[in-house]
Amino acid sequence: MADKMAVVGKRVPRWAAHDKVTGAAKFLADIKAPEMLTGKILFSPHAHANIVNIDTSKAEQLPGVEAVITFKDIPKTLYNPNKLDLILVHPELEFKDMYVLSEKARFVGDKIAAVAAVDDATAKKALALIDVEYEVLPAVFDPIAAVAPDAPQLHENAANNTSVHFEFPVAWGDVEAGFGAADVVVEQTFVTAANHICQLEPCTCVASIEASGRLTIWSPSQHAFLHRRKVAEIFGLREGMIKWITPHVGGSFGKYGSLSLEPVCVALAQKTGRPVKITFSREEDLFATEPRQRFLTTAKIGVTKDGHLTALQEKITVDGGAYYTHNSSTAIVNMGGFLGLYRCPNVAAETTCVYSNLHPTGGVRGYGNHEGTCILEQLIDLAAEKIGMDPLELRTKNAKEAGDPSSTGLPMETCTFDALMALGAEKIGWKEKKARPSSTDGKSYGIGMAIMMDVSGAQPFDIQHRNALIKFNEDGSINLLVNAADLGQNLLGTLSQIAAETLGLNYEDVHVVTGDTDSTLYDIGQHASGGAYQIGNAVILAAEDAKTHLLKRAAKKLEVAPEDLDVGNGKVFVVADTSRQISIESVVREAMYNFENDHMNISGKGSFSPIQNPPPFAAVFTEVMVDRETGVVDVLKILYVADPGVALNPATVEGQIEGAIAQSFGYVLTEEYAVNKETGALESDNFNTYKLPSTLDMPDIEVVLHEEPVPSGPYGAKGVGQGAMIAVTPSIANAIYDAVGVLISDMPATPEKILRALNK
Amino acid sequence: MKKTIEAFNINGRVYDAMITPNMTLSELLREELGLTGTKHACGSGECGSCTVLVDGKPVLSCSTLAITVREKEIVTVEGLSQGPKLDPLQKAFVNHGAVQCGFCSPGMLMMATALLKENPNPTRQEVKEGLGGNLCRCTGYVKIVDAVLDAAKENGTGGTQHG
Amino acid sequence: MSSLLPFDYFEPTSVKEAAGLLTKHVGKAKVLAGGIDLIPSMRRGRILAEYLVNIQNIPGLAAIEVSGDGAVSFGAMTRLRDLEVSQIVQKTYPALYQAIHQISSVQTKFMGTAVGNICVATPASDVATALFALGAELVVAGEDGERKESMETFCVDYCSNCLGAGEIVTRVILPKPPAGSGTAFMNLIRTHGDIAKVSVAVAVTLADGICRDVKIAVGSAAPTVFRAKQAETVFMDAKVSPDAIESAAEAAAGETQPITDQRSTADYRKEMTRVLVKRALEKAVNRSKA
Repeated sequence: MADKMAVVGKRVPRWAAHDKVTGAAKFLADIKAPEMLTGKILFSPHAHANIVNIDTSKAEQLPGVEAVITFKDIPKTLYNPNKLDLILVHPELEFKDMYVLSEKARFVGDKIAAVAAVDDATAKKALALIDVEYEVLPAVFDPIAAVAPDAPQLHENAANNTSVHFEFPVAWGDVEAGFGAADVVVEQTFVTAANHICQLEPCTCVASIEASGRLTIWSPSQHAFLHRRKVAEIFGLREGMIKWITPHVGGSFGKYGSLSLEPVCVALAQKTGRPVKITFSREEDLFATEPRQRFLTTAKIGVTKDGHLTALQEKITVDGGAYYTHNSSTAIVNMGGFLGLYRCPNVAAETTCVYSNLHPTGGVRGYGNHEGTCILEQLIDLAAEKIGMDPLELRTKNAKEAGDPSSTGLPMETCTFDALMALGAEKIGWKEKKARPSSTDGKSYGIGMAIMMDVSGAQPFDIQHRNALIKFNEDGSINLLVNAADLGQNLLGTLSQIAAETLGLNYEDVHVVTGDTDSTLYDIGQHASGGAYQIGNAVILAAEDAKTHLLKRAAKKLEVAPEDLDVGNGKVFVVADTSRQISIESVVREAMYNFENDHMNISGKGSFSPIQNPPPFAAVFTEVMVDRETGVVDVLKILYVADPGVALNPATVEGQIEGAIAQSFGYVLTEEYAVNKETGALESDNFNTYKLPSTLDMPDIEVVLHEEPVPSGPYGAKGVGQGAMIAVTPSIANAIYDAVGVLISDMPATPEKILRALNK
Repeated sequence: MKKTIEAFNINGRVYDAMITPNMTLSELLREELGLTGTKHACGSGECGSCTVLVDGKPVLSCSTLAITVREKEIVTVEGLSQGPKLDPLQKAFVNHGAVQCGFCSPGMLMMATALLKENPNPTRQEVKEGLGGNLCRCTGYVKIVDAVLDAAKENGTGGTQHG
Repeated sequence: MSSLLPFDYFEPTSVKEAAGLLTKHVGKAKVLAGGIDLIPSMRRGRILAEYLVNIQNIPGLAAIEVSGDGAVSFGAMTRLRDLEVSQIVQKTYPALYQAIHQISSVQTKFMGTAVGNICVATPASDVATALFALGAELVVAGEDGERKESMETFCVDYCSNCLGAGEIVTRVILPKPPAGSGTAFMNLIRTHGDIAKVSVAVAVTLADGICRDVKIAVGSAAPTVFRAKQAETVFMDAKVSPDAIESAAEAAAGETQPITDQRSTADYRKEMTRVLVKRALEKAVNRSKA
């Protein structure tokens, strides 16, 4: 397909690449406003405490301090920083239990007070002068203890620290009968890791009140309009009085699907009347922004001896920390992924969400599907072993096909599991390597695999509403106005390629206008890998709208009907005789400077809401060598076979996958969110203790793209970024299991854990 | 603690700035001089985002005191390109898709610049060893290493070498 | 504007001047060499310095020198990178080269000094572990003159060295390895950029298959880097064999006092001391034959 395209499918440079390699690109921390103050937050040092009194007088009197605020200075509006309550078709499970500044300390890192001062040093001094009288309460750090009858209660309206229990609504069959009909049943408990996404730019926000009373917010949020509405609701403002700006963001990976510093910044800006910037240190980013959920999961699979699934069941306790945030929504996606990946006649799942005095959790890459699929794929390997079947064969026997429902329940236009698994197995040499004897001189070789399906947006569960505007400039170039946060995923470059392709322009002739709610139409924001698929379709609609006007005017000039024309290479041409053509520029310019009273700034508008939700697919194969004497895992190779529909920009697609592989690598092997179980404080609070892989740690990676266009996708494309970790994590875990027979049910799979298991 | 005005040689230009001894080079660049291309991501010397060149050597500006480099030649990412003309490393980063969010890119470019100056024809492993102190969370490093190797080839065939 | 607390700053141009400043402000002054450990620690409030004495401008502290008797020495301002690229270090002290080379951050190696690293006196120093096994000596200079310390007498306790008021380490002396000797360094780490869970450095001198000298140093398994003296006794004068190596390795593991922390567990560190000493001895023995 790509070879017929002029711009789509090409490895053109990402949007704003020039700015990023010259240092010109402005990120949150680079934002400066006149008279700007530095904000800092006072965090609770206690995991659980009542706040008896806060005396801010000494802090307020310190020269250079412009404001000190606590719970009594903020609107008493409960909110959930997650944006889903605004767009979920069924928002009943989205509970709101958080204030801008907490009235009670519920974890080490809870926001208790904030200051705005003339500089960093003064703000720090002011924090030290705030006198907080705490009544320290007993704390709970695990979900089992938290639901016990005598456990200390975090929230008034959550008896036994349980916020909700529910059964997954998309279930079918009878799991008890299904397990009864199985020849082999495997049941296993897992605890998933509270891993932190550690985007490289520390969380930062700026808020400024104009003289008119209008509020400007610079934020890393992925949902400018949704979070603008939330801030408006919290502070009793009207949305139109808020201008929300999203500059370049130094990584998010889903984390800024939550409000972070915006409400505190706004409160300080309102109190001082001056712009306020809060920049987190790396330590603050690690303990005060959201890690992943700890899903305590009992998972069960039933298979027949000839390798057919009979039942799948998942029971989850979400230990999501001190506040609700994404607890139920990630669990729902987790269960959907677990139950929906394979064909299975009987499925059921349930979730209990529990509070504990640990760090509140968020929705990052995979959004629960990562954890659910990892657990499922590990169970598949256990079941395969029990029935003496090659795990590749067990997967092939139960894989879904086109027309089957995806994990969202919507029918799949395409499904390429068979092709991806076959391609990957051949490339990696699965048969020979699986047959290889594992141990030689103290080292054990292993090979593992996993598959996954993810999403191209959150339909049908959420409103997914996108808008794009295109306007022509006299020179025949266009401005493309979309609200699509630049988090690094090159969505904007991809959308530019789509616009250029549709209008027959060069890639360089698309000028993107973005990141400002004043100048762009509404967009629900980036999540669930919906950007390219959904906004891409909106851009096509906008481009076709503009093209209609272009062709109509050109048709007059060329004396043909508009249906006889098309665009390409900056020209409008007659399809039947391409020598008859006219430059797009001349049509646009003539419409703009028209002396016949027929003016037009040729433009187009597109609005899109998806009906389909085509899943991206992947099959991942990993080889490892485990040193049996030290337990050290050496990852030899990771082969990632992906079906992105169509790779609108292959370099972008590969880049997303390669980055996700590095994140999976860290999740499985090196990253540990280490909380002190006596105090509840985060001990791994910088990169010297929370270990991200460097280039030296990375194994040999190969990414293979197998494109099968989806009819509903823009030029056949689906989402890529969110799902790219999902199959990698279990493929590494399965390779370790293949090598040394050690099941890792709580990551990271450290050499200490592996050696302990080997020596049992 | 004394406040003094010092002259700094940055990207071939002399900047006068009021500093105190406790100001880091990163703070001087970003806060005092508005040269925000150099990034700050961890403050503990672990991520390499703040890398600049001091007398041609790659150093972490977050862990360097400004007062200690007042007589040295400092190069930051803003000093790599000539106006709109990108240098071979920058071009290679753009062409290979080695930039995603871009937050690690200035540090990567500065470290790679120092690496290629010392070792103009590195192997893949040598490039990886050269970038061992630069963390990236977006790219998985593959295209960054590809880009540096490509720039080395560029330099070898007579492309402009940055000094 | 600054994330560091205020301090008074000095740029002495001689060791004597530096020593004088450190004496005058004893307990409140810190030496600035590379700064790669000091500055981040000051930002986090782990180190408080009211006075900072910058020794970067003192002449004669950076050179790597070979003396008449074949010993190699380097100074307080010799950067890790200088040692890494030095042919002399690579050829003569491969264990030291290996300990430095495996530090993954090139920037850290350009900035950091070996002496600065040693002075922190943390047990988790790969460089110090290698220097213990190489029998390094430190020249300590104060206002009144100089003296020598061994690595063992220098590293007194966890993050505590033997320097008195007004003293700095000016040089590190590495004795010339005798004929028939071989060294090895190895460690276990979570990522290449991490501090070691356990590190081991050994130096052996063989004659006719019999060990005539052995030093076994272990890092990150006790309050300081230490020489596994019992293990050395087991291996000394023994005929080199897998059994002898195994016995020495087991003895070394028995001498550890490891802790459980974020990086590893006490049990793992103890067991890995045995494994790494065994592997390092094997490697050093092979190198000694080359």
